[in-house]
Amino acid sequence: MHDRRLLAFAPALLLAAGCLHFDTLDEPVKMATHAKDWREAVIYQVLIDRFDDGDDGNNNLLDRENMARYHGGDWIGLENRLDYIQELGVNTLWISPVIKNIETDANVDGYHGYWAVDLTQPNAHFGNLDDLRSLVRAAHERDMLVVIDIVANHMGQLFFYDMNLNGVPDILLQGTGTRPQGTPVPPGFDQSGFTHITEYDPDFNPLGVQAFTSLGPAGPAPVVFPFDPKSGHVTPMPAIFQNPEVYNRKGRTFNYDDPQQLLTGDFPGGLKDVNTTRCDVKQAFVDSYARWIELTDADGFRIDTVKHVEYEFWRYFTQRVRQRLAAQGKNKFFMFGEAFDGRDELVGSFTKNDLPSDEELARENSCDDGPKLTGDQLDSAFYFPQHYQVFRDVFQDAASTDRIAGLWANKTTNYGTVAPKDSAGVAPHKLLVNFIDNHDVARFLYFARERVEKDPAFAGKSLRDKELRLRSMLQNALLMLMTAEGIPCLYYGTELEYRGGNDPSNREDMWRPYPYLGETTPPPAFDTTGATFAFTKKLIAYRKKLAALRRGDTKVVWSTTRTGDESDAGIFAFERAGGEAGSNYVLVVFNTHQSHDSRTQFEGAAMTVSAPAGAVLVDVLGGNKKYTVGAGGTLDLTLPPVSGMLLVPQQDV
Amino acid sequence: MRCDFPLLSLAVALLGVVAPAAAAQSPASPPTTSQPTASTPPVTPAEPEPAPEDSSAVPAPDAVPTASAAPTPAEAPPPTPVPEPAVKPDKPGSRGPHPHDPNSPPGLADGFHFGSYGRVIAGGDSTGRAGRNGDIVARGSRLDEANYAELELRREDYWKSTGAYTRIVATTAFATPIFHYNGQFSAALAIRNLYLEVRNAGVKGLSFWAGSRMYRGDDIYLLDFWPLDNLNTIGGGVGYTFKTGTELKFHAGLNQPTDPYYRQTILRPPAYNQFGSAEVAILDRQKLVSSLKLSHVWPIGDSGGVKGILYGELHYVPEGQREIESKVYEAVPKDKGFVGGAQVGAFTGKRSTYVNLTARFASGIAAYGELNAPRQLRPDRTATGAHELLVTLSGNWERGPFGLLMGSYYRQFRNASRSLDWDDLNEGIVIVRPQVWFAKIAGVALEASYQAQQRGVATESEPNLFKPVFAQMGRFGVIPFITPGGPGAFQRPQIRLIYLLTVRDGATRSFYPADDVFARRGVDHFIGVGAEWWFGSTSYFR
Repeated sequence: MHDRRLLAFAPALLLAAGCLHFDTLDEPVKMATHAKDWREAVIYQVLIDRFDDGDDGNNNLLDRENMARYHGGDWIGLENRLDYIQELGVNTLWISPVIKNIETDANVDGYHGYWAVDLTQPNAHFGNLDDLRSLVRAAHERDMLVVIDIVANHMGQLFFYDMNLNGVPDILLQGTGTRPQGTPVPPGFDQSGFTHITEYDPDFNPLGVQAFTSLGPAGPAPVVFPFDPKSGHVTPMPAIFQNPEVYNRKGRTFNYDDPQQLLTGDFPGGLKDVNTTRCDVKQAFVDSYARWIELTDADGFRIDTVKHVEYEFWRYFTQRVRQRLAAQGKNKFFMFGEAFDGRDELVGSFTKNDLPSDEELARENSCDDGPKLTGDQLDSAFYFPQHYQVFRDVFQDAASTDRIAGLWANKTTNYGTVAPKDSAGVAPHKLLVNFIDNHDVARFLYFARERVEKDPAFAGKSLRDKELRLRSMLQNALLMLMTAEGIPCLYYGTELEYRGGNDPSNREDMWRPYPYLGETTPPPAFDTTGATFAFTKKLIAYRKKLAALRRGDTKVVWSTTRTGDESDAGIFAFERAGGEAGSNYVLVVFNTHQSHDSRTQFEGAAMTVSAPAGAVLVDVLGGNKKYTVGAGGTLDLTLPPVSGMLLVPQQDV
Repeated sequence: MRCDFPLLSLAVALLGVVAPAAAAQSPASPPTTSQPTASTPPVTPAEPEPAPEDSSAVPAPDAVPTASAAPTPAEAPPPTPVPEPAVKPDKPGSRGPHPHDPNSPPGLADGFHFGSYGRVIAGGDSTGRAGRNGDIVARGSRLDEANYAELELRREDYWKSTGAYTRIVATTAFATPIFHYNGQFSAALAIRNLYLEVRNAGVKGLSFWAGSRMYRGDDIYLLDFWPLDNLNTIGGGVGYTFKTGTELKFHAGLNQPTDPYYRQTILRPPAYNQFGSAEVAILDRQKLVSSLKLSHVWPIGDSGGVKGILYGELHYVPEGQREIESKVYEAVPKDKGFVGGAQVGAFTGKRSTYVNLTARFASGIAAYGELNAPRQLRPDRTATGAHELLVTLSGNWERGPFGLLMGSYYRQFRNASRSLDWDDLNEGIVIVRPQVWFAKIAGVALEASYQAQQRGVATESEPNLFKPVFAQMGRFGVIPFITPGGPGAFQRPQIRLIYLLTVRDGATRSFYPADDVFARRGVDHFIGVGAEWWFGSTSYFR
């Protein structure tokens, strides 16, 4: 009543006042399908907090000298740098989770975005909804797509298990830490070798985390949601996440091979595992995350920790999200999942349309809130097996190249050949997200440096010589990244030769670059003149130019088990042609051997390619040097150690 | 208790000069704020207690003798006594003909003098909770302001040999809480004035001052707000009053608010292998604040006039460097800001009747106020782009037993960062206080205000449709009072009872943190009793 009376005065004041104006919020977002073919995408992964600080207004409690704390990057900062990104040539941004996080836990901040506390609010460190919309809009205006990172396996450190029933979160450290994993554990003792019990993150117990008193077991440990706004321990949202019953409450996973731990254990760090088999939880995640697309018009999800969640959840989540967004005009919505695992079959199991049993489907359909569920899952997966078996084993450690061929040969089997309904529209095996490194693993150059340091061939060589070798290794990996079938994903800073070790060292500030390899003084921030930036830019340009690199089928034409002094040791070659690439043709050849020149022939047998005899192929990365295909399609090439060729028919150059 | 009577013999000449100006200025009279007023980022409603504020006296033009219609420069000590005040003192005593007029600007007279402003209030809400400022705008109703007092001691001399006057002013100020409220035998104490002023310094009309002082012009009493110029400064200034009455004043001061923006100390080994550590100021920059003010009064009729003011400020901080980790330094850029403003006012010279209109625009670091560090900067770490726009209208009218006092402003503040956020706002208030006096000693005032604020945070007004939050609040007060000095909106001292009704809309409530009573209450009642006085202080007559 009083409100209404007051409102009567409003127009006069408004007239006098003028209005604050948000750039993007005046009208609801009209969702549209911006993606044409996700194989056209080149993803650039950005850790928002570390990319650029564009808005001092959202800086709060920064500690830029501590890698585990907020550094101040934000959505405006990324938007301000779209020129830089566009210059590089990438056309898709993968950004950190956007939702409100636990501020800090155990002296580590939620700067990465994976510690959700409120799925309905933006992470204020990154900006407000207006900023996020502005970023997405600006990206779309440049024909860029935006992929938002999400987590459905767990929430942040929302509660602790009051194991000793004293009402406060206790931490206990004791023991020698020498007991090997898997050895018998005395009842009542911690499962870890080192006894490190924190009531935020106790070890997994299949019965649920238990309470103990001095008199013995005291039943399931109560969970306590602390309320401490300063550290961001506030009321979880949506409201369903305030209910202890929606969490599995079994403690921290320590044995990832135990399916029960994998699916129901808390994620290390005290991240509370959600019972994702519940209909209300499934619906809450769909509602929460689909809303961010409805609010921003973003184009896809990168989904965290998918292997820790039941398949039935992914079937529900992906299908309901597609249906909901498609009904509003957003088609070809792309969802790729992260299973941090080298096992190809496991990773592929989240994209492959393996129809569950009737019984399972019936149970899954018991949520009864939409069209009957099918076996459809994710559009794609983050290609971790390739990260390990190709970029680490071959391009860093010079392992035999036959493992590349072997891995790729299983793509159709492991990842599936049927695109989910209403999905990105391309079969998963053609749409895997390739990457050299990311925010969860050390950067390529970090381990490559170890390799070079141990290489006898570099003993006594100058630091500059070693670093130039590192550059060759990185550029060879980049050539593989940009030419392999699938979607390349470049981790920010790779183009500037960033070289940080494991998390959080691999999450460097983009505004504080390293000196380039072989140099001693750092370039300006966001420099576009460096050798690897130029190389990456060139590769992306060719990827855009040559349809075969985007949509062509893959045929491995040379791989080898040999890694020694043999003539073809380290050689790997594949063609991209056919498929939906028309007549376009590309041949990519690598020598991953780190000591000697290698040839595409062994014991007199030369490589045979699909290009016709007499065809002239131009190495567009090698000074446009020409090579002519011999009789029978043979092509005998010699490559220096750690080098590659991108061969294109002369008429296509 | 008026303690500045010795100067009365000197006051007349000065009053003859000041009266018209004071008439225009005084209505816009009293309090200042110890914090930097509206040019700072907004006072958030979430503050648990009102910020300490100080105040000053309000000259009532009709109570001030007007010896001359045309303003003239300040003169030598007046040979004639101050004319009889319009309101007779209750207790005519030995302290001069005008012992109880708190609105007369103190003149200059040899000797020590005392002046004061003060307000004390005891009150709370209808449930007994402690009273607290309930306004959402930076400057709102002062009925629920916290306790505050200034005690001013000054020494004044006339130097026959040079014809110059000097005035040394020392003003201490006390903010809430006070001992009898919380039982803590301590005080929040500040020095608000500590300066020496020399008038007619060799040249008639020329004045200098140096020291620390409140340096300000006209205010809006109802809002406790000096909208055009209100500096808390330490430095010096020069002024010259032309024969036409036009006054030109320039000042420059330095300050260093306690903030890492200005100063950073680091620990280093002492020299010559001494033990321990020494603190070194690696960043130690001060802000230069200077101002220029040109004012003129055009007399109209016997006592009225029109007053015009042009005003400007320059704020500047030099560059510096700070240590961001051991032996790693970061350059801190220089920054600057400007203020430009104007005021036009008209006054009758009778019974404090006046109207004032001001407009002020501040940019860069000046938009944050003189005693603040800028926040939410641009990516280049400067405040470029920050601004504050302020337009105010205030006035008073009195006739017979009736009076109407009013104030209003519209304010727009944007910080330097690109994105809209909580501190970016538009706000405004209209406040009126009609009052009626009975039997010269008592009266009743009603106060009504409407305030609104729009902040740079989005609310979902409809699904997927967001707008900046827009909050509105209404307040209505009843204030019966007694004023021994007689009728007059600016007549003090005053003892009063206060009832203040506050009505908040949902958006206003949303400004407060969860579980704050202001977040829960759409309607609130404040009840209190208090006193307010001012007399003999220089803070309000410059």
